[in-house]
Amino acid sequence: MSWEGPVGLEAEVAQLRRGDLDALAALLARYQNRLYRYLLRLVRQPATAEDLFQQTWLRVAEKIRHYDSKRSFEAWLFAVARNLAIDHLRRMQPESLDETSPSGMPIHPEPCSAAPPVLDGLVMQERNSRLGAALAELPVFYRDVLTLRFEEEMKLEEIAEVLGTPLSTVKTRLRRSLEGLRRTLEMRYPGEDWLGRMGRAGQ
Amino acid sequence: MSEHDEIRDLLSLAAAGALDHEEEQRVAQHLRSCSACATELDSWQSLTSGLRRLATPQPSAGLIERTRAAAAWQFAAEGERRWNQGVILFVVLFAWTLTLATWPLVRLVTGGVMDWLQPGFGHTWTGLVGYTAMVWLTGGIAAGTLAVRRRRERSLT
Repeated sequence: MSWEGPVGLEAEVAQLRRGDLDALAALLARYQNRLYRYLLRLVRQPATAEDLFQQTWLRVAEKIRHYDSKRSFEAWLFAVARNLAIDHLRRMQPESLDETSPSGMPIHPEPCSAAPPVLDGLVMQERNSRLGAALAELPVFYRDVLTLRFEEEMKLEEIAEVLGTPLSTVKTRLRRSLEGLRRTLEMRYPGEDWLGRMGRAGQ
Repeated sequence: MSEHDEIRDLLSLAAAGALDHEEEQRVAQHLRSCSACATELDSWQSLTSGLRRLATPQPSAGLIERTRAAAAWQFAAEGERRWNQGVILFVVLFAWTLTLATWPLVRLVTGGVMDWLQPGFGHTWTGLVGYTAMVWLTGGIAAGTLAVRRRRERSLT
């Protein structure tokens, strides 16, 4: 992040708190892709993610005066989005937020046959697609922490702030999420050295 | 649990960059002499780098525009709500001040000078309460009429 990043962000948040609509547009432009991606990872349905995206910004417009400027705006924004998404998921699937089998595996991962792609680009695309599909099978609390860490590139402390949990819980959840993701991939694509091939394809 | 097993449990977090300094040192030291753990760490790093490279879905331009418009409306509504709260507070204070300030004049006009000089609880305070109620009722009706008219104008626009 450049040195202008946080300074520009702080100025925009301060302007928004003073009622400047241009600052709202600037913040929306700054976070639109990341916030939409995060919501889509949580709820998996584009239409629902769009609805929650809009609700998040309405909530921001409503609550910005209550935002404590000593906290990270980014963490606050993602926490607002997360709370809306979790509330939605609870309403839709009240008992399945932590849905895993007794072994800790996501339910019903179906093994797939692998068609070996020829070109590296296609290999990468295929691997990313498989990884995305495996990620989508994980329970929401695992998808949550993985996307915050690896896609949003948040520090552990920021993730703890978004989730409202202690740092130790974040680390535990991160480790379990990675293990769950790896097990899911190994079950979906048995016998494949998908990790090694992904590494080589990315080089 | 052996040192090897303990380190193995840390490898996923090592690939995620989630170890503290002391744990990082332990892992690094162990990897120098354990090729199995080094290979395992490579696997975890492949997984985490794959996660970092996942495609970013883009929201549609229509969604951004709708969101901007809705948030701007919400923002304006919040501003208006705060403004209305301020106006109501001001009006209440002004109404009380006006009521109390004009009360002696009302008593004078209605011939209650003697009551004013020698206030008996009964007449004076009943009169004040009646006068206050009348003033506030008139003000309330006026404010309600204005609010209804404003709402009608807004619904027409």
